[in-house]
Amino acid sequence: MNKTVNIIMAGVGGQGLVLMTDIISEVAFEAGYDVKTNDVVGLSQRGGKVWGSVRLGETIHSPNIAKGHADYLLALEPLEGLRWQEYLKPQGQAFINTAEIYPVFAIAEAAPYPHDFLDQFRKDIVVSAHDVLALCLELGTPKVVNVMMLGALAKQLPIDSAIWRKVIGESVPEKFFEENMKAFEKGMTLGSLT
Amino acid sequence: MKVKMLTGNEAIARGFYEAGGHVAASYPGSPTVEMLETIKKQYPEIYAEFSVNEKVALEVGIGASMTGARTLVSMKHVGVNVAADPLMTFTETKTKGGFVLMSGDDPGMASSQNEQDNRIFAKFANMPVLDPADSQEAKDFTMIGLEISERFEAPVMLRITSRLCHSRTKVVLSDRTEVPIKGFVKSPSDYGMIPPNTFDKQFHMRQRIEKLQSALDDLNINRYEPYDGADTLIITSGLPYQNLRELAPKAAVYKLGIVYPLPLDALRALASKFNQVVVIEEMTGFIEDQLWLAGIPCVGKTAFPFTGELDIEEIETGLRMLGVEMANVFLQVAEEASASEVEPLTPVMGRLPMFCAGCPHRPVFDILKKSKKTVIGDIGCYSMGILYPLEVLDSIISMGASLGMVKGMKKAERLMGINQPLVAVIGDGTFYHSGMTGLLNLLHQSDPTDNITILILNNGTTAMTGGQPNASSSPYGDGSDMNVDLPKLIEVMGFESVKVVDQFDYKAAKKTMEDAFKHEGIDIIMTTRPCALRFKIKEPHFAVDPSICIACRTCVKTNCPPIHMKHYEGFDKQKSSIDPSMCVGCSVCSQVCPVGAIKRS
Repeated sequence: MNKTVNIIMAGVGGQGLVLMTDIISEVAFEAGYDVKTNDVVGLSQRGGKVWGSVRLGETIHSPNIAKGHADYLLALEPLEGLRWQEYLKPQGQAFINTAEIYPVFAIAEAAPYPHDFLDQFRKDIVVSAHDVLALCLELGTPKVVNVMMLGALAKQLPIDSAIWRKVIGESVPEKFFEENMKAFEKGMTLGSLT
Repeated sequence: MKVKMLTGNEAIARGFYEAGGHVAASYPGSPTVEMLETIKKQYPEIYAEFSVNEKVALEVGIGASMTGARTLVSMKHVGVNVAADPLMTFTETKTKGGFVLMSGDDPGMASSQNEQDNRIFAKFANMPVLDPADSQEAKDFTMIGLEISERFEAPVMLRITSRLCHSRTKVVLSDRTEVPIKGFVKSPSDYGMIPPNTFDKQFHMRQRIEKLQSALDDLNINRYEPYDGADTLIITSGLPYQNLRELAPKAAVYKLGIVYPLPLDALRALASKFNQVVVIEEMTGFIEDQLWLAGIPCVGKTAFPFTGELDIEEIETGLRMLGVEMANVFLQVAEEASASEVEPLTPVMGRLPMFCAGCPHRPVFDILKKSKKTVIGDIGCYSMGILYPLEVLDSIISMGASLGMVKGMKKAERLMGINQPLVAVIGDGTFYHSGMTGLLNLLHQSDPTDNITILILNNGTTAMTGGQPNASSSPYGDGSDMNVDLPKLIEVMGFESVKVVDQFDYKAAKKTMEDAFKHEGIDIIMTTRPCALRFKIKEPHFAVDPSICIACRTCVKTNCPPIHMKHYEGFDKQKSSIDPSMCVGCSVCSQVCPVGAIKRS
């Protein structure tokens, strides 16, 4: 992989974005790339919008990604996917967890939650949308959403999936090891469904 | 050679460890929290503590440094204001054990109440300022900072911005080098800072900066990157340097590692070879001003924003304006991409932070909202009570300020001839940090008819920064060694009584608060429920019975993440609903429901 890969993650405080950036950066590092991340920007764990980024390639200077230059967007919540889609380059790929989390404006009915979010994605990007939360609940736990999303990303990157499994195994709580591995495998199949 | 991915915070902790650091003290504040947490978790060789506030942390550090220990004190930028008093005098003394003050600045205010540029603070305090640009430099500069501190007998500021604190980059690791602690040597004229002892210290502070300035070349901390045929010299530091490199400008670059003092002679000589000198720095024109004062003409804040972060795009815009060519462009590409869009993107609904599911602040703010009182807030998770849709708080200034302010407001209103109930809200951590003095001050010249209610939200932790222990944590089973009985402390101060209330008994809490609002005099109420997040509270969830729900939205108005209106099959009107995966079973919604439609599952 000669070219730089730019990945943006977005979600709601408390969804575990830091763990995701940590895993991606460790994987890329172990695979021999230069890596820089923004672990998380925003109020973590307080239900606000949060985002992070990982850049990997031969030499990386800034952890920041300019608008219109991201290759991948992993959105743990659909509105957060919409919020960050302008960062994707044309033909960039968005992986969207469609499980909705209402912002205060929707809770307070100041405005309706836009359930038609899929129609609002750019037409010049590739959108892969799944209810990842529901898929995880099928595996028995809601706690593996991030790792399932990482599976979808892993499928796209030219990095041996054994490295992913190793790093994920080292990063998640031992008692959820099996569920995380299953979630990762399932995630690897998600990208191709669209 | 061992290489690891570390955040800026982790790298500073590592640098301090490798440099043989002895004592570290801090008060938790974003973006610096993980630095001290890393030391506590990973480096048992170092004595580390979260002190009661930044001033105390700095004083702990002063004591350690005077004893010859290598010392690191960390805080967010506004914490330096709290620590300013000891800092401005400590800096007069000849620093013995290397002393580094890590200041987490927050350009763009991702998690802060202001955007102050602490490089100015350091210059004010006659301290050298190091400004790392990635985690490797964060580690290296921590170590160099300790050396500079000992060699030039000065405290050193390691200024790092929020983005770099939380950015992960490669860092080369080394082993720890043990450094002996020299021990305290009595020298009253050096450590007793009253006149006349302070007179010669003014010269010491000046001379050490001059000495460091002339030794900058040996320190290998600044770097010149020439560019063939360039007519522009760019001077920069920190993350803007990395953003600049992404653009690959056709210009020479002088990358500063130390931003005070500057290598002015070298820069003057270099600048004369170029048509223009451009300074790229976040927030104030700190470097730019120093260059102008030294007679080096340059362009800075006329081309780059004075507030917020300087991302790649802002730097590209500024350089274009100044006619500097770049090998890589980003804005143009993005503009072309968006031009290819047929329809403009729909604006996305905002997402404000809110109290967590099960947050013990929720019933308190629900009661306060209904009371429509004037409420002076403070700094903590409950600061979110100023946001939509709660909009309960009327002011937030700084740590502990609510208790002083409420008195001033009351006294001013009494002069106007009014005595409406005023409420101050403060958390336990903030109370210990700097609320206690404000409370004590309320005993002074208080009129027994002054209608003031003070709500102390004791959740057993410093919650907003991730749940660090504080003086109230022990009774909550936190394992911390401070066990302050908060109501007893307040009563010992001289207040009549503290009403202790479990706010999850909604009716009792409401009555206690409303009685206090009606009562003339100072009422102090302490709530007792612990932070749901810190203590991972999860009880069986609640569920709405749509056949009983009358869609009054009383539960929705408590503003809880899992609760919203939805369509149920067989019902025309929307009814309330609770997302079982998010609900932690606090019961507040079921208590406010007027028809008993919400029951525990």
